[in-house]
Amino acid sequence: MFRLQGSKVLAVDMTGDSVKAKNGSMVAYDGQMAFKKLTGGGEGLRGMVTRRLTGEQMTLMEVRGQGTCWFADRASEINLVNLQGDKLYVESSNLLATDGGLRTGTTFTGLRGASQGNGLFTTTIEGHGQAAIMSDGPAVVLRVSAQYPLTVDPGAYIAHQGNLRQSFQSGVTFRTLLGEGGGEAFQIRFEGDGLVYVQPSERNTIAGDV
Amino acid sequence: MSTPYPTPGGPTVFDPMTLPADDNVNAYTFCVELKGSQWFLQKGKMIAYYGTIDFNGIGHGRLDRLVRTSFHSPLHASDWVVAEGSGKMLLADRAFDVNSYDLEDGNLTIRSGNLLAFQPTLALKQSIVPGFLTLIGTGKFVAASNGPVVFMEPPIRVDPQALVGWADCPSPCHHYDHGYMTGVMGGLRAMTGLGGASGEEHQFEFVGAGTVLLQSSETLMAEQATGAVPQQAGVPGAGGAHSTQGPQSGVPRLPGQLGDLQRRFGL
Repeated sequence: MFRLQGSKVLAVDMTGDSVKAKNGSMVAYDGQMAFKKLTGGGEGLRGMVTRRLTGEQMTLMEVRGQGTCWFADRASEINLVNLQGDKLYVESSNLLATDGGLRTGTTFTGLRGASQGNGLFTTTIEGHGQAAIMSDGPAVVLRVSAQYPLTVDPGAYIAHQGNLRQSFQSGVTFRTLLGEGGGEAFQIRFEGDGLVYVQPSERNTIAGDV
Repeated sequence: MSTPYPTPGGPTVFDPMTLPADDNVNAYTFCVELKGSQWFLQKGKMIAYYGTIDFNGIGHGRLDRLVRTSFHSPLHASDWVVAEGSGKMLLADRAFDVNSYDLEDGNLTIRSGNLLAFQPTLALKQSIVPGFLTLIGTGKFVAASNGPVVFMEPPIRVDPQALVGWADCPSPCHHYDHGYMTGVMGGLRAMTGLGGASGEEHQFEFVGAGTVLLQSSETLMAEQATGAVPQQAGVPGAGGAHSTQGPQSGVPRLPGQLGDLQRRFGL
């Protein structure tokens, strides 16, 4: 059971089950815990090779035991996500922990990743359970539905879940090159049905200053 | 409409109906509602939007009239864009606290790096004080600060790093403690506003009627170059005399200048 203690510490109550968490993110525990490094994020040899090839590196550990374990990373804000059989797409650098039963994988994101400087691939989490994702400042959760598509700055995007199509919009025109760009030259547009998580801060991207 | 992703006890999920209009979503995110109206905003501070919103750089021919009436700092126009359209737009800045302020036929001078966005009913002008901008008129603006903002009444002396801005105060001036200005190092400290033995020998002093805005931290937000002022006798800050203030402040920048490409691409 995941719960937040403050907004920057994740507490997980465990009764013999396990969680996957970012390597080294444990700050304290109470009870009996065993920590095991998961080579290749527990995705087997194929997952390991995929992650190596795609650059979507992720070092996870498996924590199993009885009691409570607390996780935190660089005082980042933590956001809980409930998954009921749907898929969460998140940058590996923003993933803190997931339930042991959730499957993680890698997927192609297209141009969005490139404009963020995060590579062309992203991490997926699938199954039933909870995940904890990190953001710079508390994330705002925005619902996308058929009548309300959403446009997001690539630098502020952290994750999305549900049945969403994303398309990359580029507003680069000759004005950008003349130095009169609109400042929001790269955008991702989400359509469909689902949730998008954005953080109140922008990673340094090429897009950020155009 | 089906809601397939309810998160009981989880974070609040916003959609265009539940997002506030021209108000904070949380301490770090501000939501602007556009109904065919326009807002000026600093480049790159939009994090997401619903609806149809266009972002045009200042210098876009169609916006000339708007720029003439509410934008009087031609030399840093390249840092600002005009958002136009209808929908709701979220603004945020590096996870700093953001707040909106209403001016009613008033004036407010603010550190250039702190101002995020403003309504075109306000006029933005460069302040005579280097590094600051003045907003005059009636309307709403959004400013970021490192930690919540506190409002103080003059007479007051404030730490230079904690000053966000001031309204109505007629006399912002420097205040130095004894012996601060002696010697070469003293002069250097006075120029940069940094250093000193205890770090508290130099303050800004405000007297008269008005309000002084302070952030609750002495960590400065990154300076935004306000552009060079015309090189003219009697103009403070002209002539590159304060070239220690920031990497770009000595260089005059005109919108559309090609020499700016490097900075524009974040190199």
